[in-house]
Amino acid sequence: MRDNPNRLGTEADHLLQGSAIDRSRPLRFRLNGREVSGFVGDTVLSAVLASGIDTVGKRGGVPLALSAHHAPAITFTALARDLQRALPMERTPATDGADYVTLARRQKRSALARLLRRGGESLGLDLDQPDPLPRPWLGMPGEVGPATDLIVVGAGVAGMAAALAAARRGRRVVLIEAAPRLGGHARLFGTQEGEETPDHNIARLAELIGTTEAITVLTSAEVFGLRPGVVRLHQVEVQDGAPAGRIIDIRAPHIVLATGTLELLPVFPGNRLPGIMGTLEAFDLAHHYGVWAGGSALFATSSSPAYRLAMLAKDAGVLVPRIIDSRPRPQSRFIEFSKAYGITLASGTVAASAARGPKRQGLLLRPRLAMEGFSQPEPVQLVDRVITCGGWQPDLTLWHMAGGESAWNAAHARLEPRNGPPGIALAGSAAGWFTRRACLASGDDAVDALLGRERHPIDDPLIDPLYETPDGPAPIGDLPEADGPPAFLAAGQHYLERPRPVRSRWPGWLPFAPRQTGWSLADTPQPLALADIVSGVQLGAIPASSAGIVAQERVAMVGIADADYGAVERPATALPLPPPYLAGRFAGAELWVVRPGEKRMLEPGTLIHADADTTDPLHAIGVVVRNINGTAIVLVAGAMGQMASAREPGRAIGVQLVAPYREGMDLAAALGSGAGAP
Amino acid sequence: MTETPIDFAIIGSTPLARLVAGLLASAHGKSVVFSGESQSGYRLPRGIDLSVAPLTRPHSWAMLKTGLPETLRLLSRIGGRGAWSRVDPVFFAGGAAGKEALAHMRHMALAFGHGAEPVPASLLGSGREGLLLRDAVLLHRPTLEAGLDAWLVQHKVRRLADDDRLEVRGDGSAELVAGDARIAIGQTVLADDAAIIGHMRAEEWPALLGRQVASTIFTEPTQAIVSPVTCHLDSGLTLVQRQDRGITAMGPGSIDPFAAELGDLLGASRAFRQAGQSSYETLVTADAAPAVGRINGVGPDVLAGFGPTGAFFAPLIARWLSGTASAAESAWLGARLVDRMTNPSMVAEVGTP
Repeated sequence: MRDNPNRLGTEADHLLQGSAIDRSRPLRFRLNGREVSGFVGDTVLSAVLASGIDTVGKRGGVPLALSAHHAPAITFTALARDLQRALPMERTPATDGADYVTLARRQKRSALARLLRRGGESLGLDLDQPDPLPRPWLGMPGEVGPATDLIVVGAGVAGMAAALAAARRGRRVVLIEAAPRLGGHARLFGTQEGEETPDHNIARLAELIGTTEAITVLTSAEVFGLRPGVVRLHQVEVQDGAPAGRIIDIRAPHIVLATGTLELLPVFPGNRLPGIMGTLEAFDLAHHYGVWAGGSALFATSSSPAYRLAMLAKDAGVLVPRIIDSRPRPQSRFIEFSKAYGITLASGTVAASAARGPKRQGLLLRPRLAMEGFSQPEPVQLVDRVITCGGWQPDLTLWHMAGGESAWNAAHARLEPRNGPPGIALAGSAAGWFTRRACLASGDDAVDALLGRERHPIDDPLIDPLYETPDGPAPIGDLPEADGPPAFLAAGQHYLERPRPVRSRWPGWLPFAPRQTGWSLADTPQPLALADIVSGVQLGAIPASSAGIVAQERVAMVGIADADYGAVERPATALPLPPPYLAGRFAGAELWVVRPGEKRMLEPGTLIHADADTTDPLHAIGVVVRNINGTAIVLVAGAMGQMASAREPGRAIGVQLVAPYREGMDLAAALGSGAGAP
Repeated sequence: MTETPIDFAIIGSTPLARLVAGLLASAHGKSVVFSGESQSGYRLPRGIDLSVAPLTRPHSWAMLKTGLPETLRLLSRIGGRGAWSRVDPVFFAGGAAGKEALAHMRHMALAFGHGAEPVPASLLGSGREGLLLRDAVLLHRPTLEAGLDAWLVQHKVRRLADDDRLEVRGDGSAELVAGDARIAIGQTVLADDAAIIGHMRAEEWPALLGRQVASTIFTEPTQAIVSPVTCHLDSGLTLVQRQDRGITAMGPGSIDPFAAELGDLLGASRAFRQAGQSSYETLVTADAAPAVGRINGVGPDVLAGFGPTGAFFAPLIARWLSGTASAAESAWLGARLVDRMTNPSMVAEVGTP
């Protein structure tokens, strides 16, 4: 455990011991030259976090947390220049003896600093660089994947139910899951009365899938491109003992998107400092890998499942001094249990801001009571980490990529799907369902909808709000200070911030005082994650009525197989003479061959005037239309032998109309025989 | 319940639509209702506002040249420092027709005293020719839109509320239904493509106007291109690169082929990733020239086909709509009526696909 300071112990009986790892089989690998310890079953990311590295690097001088949503790509040290071999930390299994480097530029440090910081908690990446955490596979072509009738993206309970339903209906299915295992996130949300437990439910479905020949399962496979009829994914597989990535295009007439929900980030200054993590990711890391940093954790939430994690953490020996909840008077079975656990609860309270603790130890979180128009700062809390939850947003990223529509639901403060493209259906919480029962049923229903079969109503048995308060909108904390840590809108690879007030020593009414610039998301040269858009709506930057169309416009789209159009070829067509934009320009004009008064090639566009003194283009009598084999063809109203003036930049050249132009005529002869010929 | 009739309903979301609405109210004393969305701060743009365009007609250049100072004074007053900037746009082409058009544009620009220089092929790619026009004016829509909206309020232009309904009639008049009130409107102006597509009845559709699918792609920062504003005549694709090097590309075609076109144009050295994309319908005129007015003198007025220069014609259009345009202005617009003959067109401009 000395090498894994952030790994929970197994002495006490608790549920966060790490169901995916085998603690009897330790392993070691290197990352950026640093030795990292883990266990068989770890991912590179979980082992790195367990080893005490919790920071990616600095952006604007502020350290940002390492997480599954914000992690650099890695590659083998020996293949550092081969971007084709890049791997995602969060989907790459940890293997003994591997030697990796991160695919990102590191911060410059002095030799002394390097010496002193060696073994520190940061990967030391420079996040001020453009595209600081590249993922090269997003721009690579895919190989042809397995033939299938139906694709299910997401192997949570809804996706697994959809895959089994499609197989029962005689279809070949490819089930794609980004995580290394099936199951999704149902475990965090617990069990309603009369339901089997999530663990039983997931195990039963996974076993059925394992014995169903018609279903091909791809795990550690993330879909990043989708159009009707085709998906593009990046999968990490272990080949000959070493992880390797591949990009696959899979085609099918039917696609079920069971992509689950995204956890929203409360917006407050310092909300991405190391030590701050979302409830879902904290639960996943603890449940699957036994990873938990620090001995104390404060929870800041607007959703009840965070209370469940708080209790699980307390069972595992973590001190939970307080749970703050932005909802004024929340009710939940989880809340009642938390009270019984002796956890202090503060409702109507948001995380106003966060900063690093003294000597970079822990976090200072400033809560603020914000309820019914009343606002008051609460005493600062010093804790090892802060677990946040800003509510949940159906993950419609791929839905939008495929052309699906969505609209804002004010009651739930989230985007919900509307009309979709043909051949694609949503299932589970991505479709907006809340309960596990509904998610399971929606898997079947999505398949029926796609196959044109009879559909059945879905029961989503929500507990009465009197007893289970619905999620609140993602809490909004204080405005970031001009020189303080930023307040990010989402927890991902992009860094959209809430605007800061402009600091000025001049009163705002002075004409030269710096102005607060408007917040133009249209000018933000990065895709907007769904969480950015939800926060943007809450901050008033995006009208709720436009949230859906903005989400569709700003999804990070990549070109995939159907879109490989190759180089653009334009067939050569005959040029009209004169071109249409000269029609009617000069009354009674015709095409003439002209002879310049000096040896010079007249450019197309050169204006012809009656004499050298006239320069007003409105009074031009003609124009050089084209140059054919060095001979100027002019559109002009004139007569054989007429003299005129061609206005070239800065000078006039005398020209003479020598012959009417006819297609195919002998231009040299015309010039030689025309009026005034030598 | 009836209220005092309103002179004009202006429908559209572009700076041209807002400027026409505001000028009719502020400069010509008309009562105006405006129906348009304020989305420039968060939606992808469908066009740009630039004081130059692929124009070859001297009267068009003359109108732009004389109207520009007036428009700039107005825009500076309304939108402040950030509403516009000077740029040196580059127009370029690889095809013979495009190259020939560039030559005509260059001579016309020079004839009107506008700085115009050829761009070396080394900056554009093999086989391409380019034309750089100096000191053009580029409007910054997100900044300007906020100023324009405040200006409309200042001049008592009524903004269509969410619950209001505007019924455009076949004769061009309209009725505003606001709660119990029904307000007669003398004349409707469909001031951008979306307004025309949304309100023009099929049986009244002008033969001059064609609908085409167009796209906008917004890229993450990539390598610098030859100019902050470039326009490819062969494809009709316009690129705007901002200081952070993100590119907004607009042009005809649905998203995937448009992305391929963009990749082809930017070349392998400027790999780009999409930060946003949208597809929509635009209008093109058969002869690539602007279209104004009503069909056979009846119906709503349309404003279409101005390309990037629409906002810079706004004072002229407002004068024309209010009956105070000069003879030259009336002649220029009169030649560009929406029901004009196009075979041949006496006002055709450089067309793009």
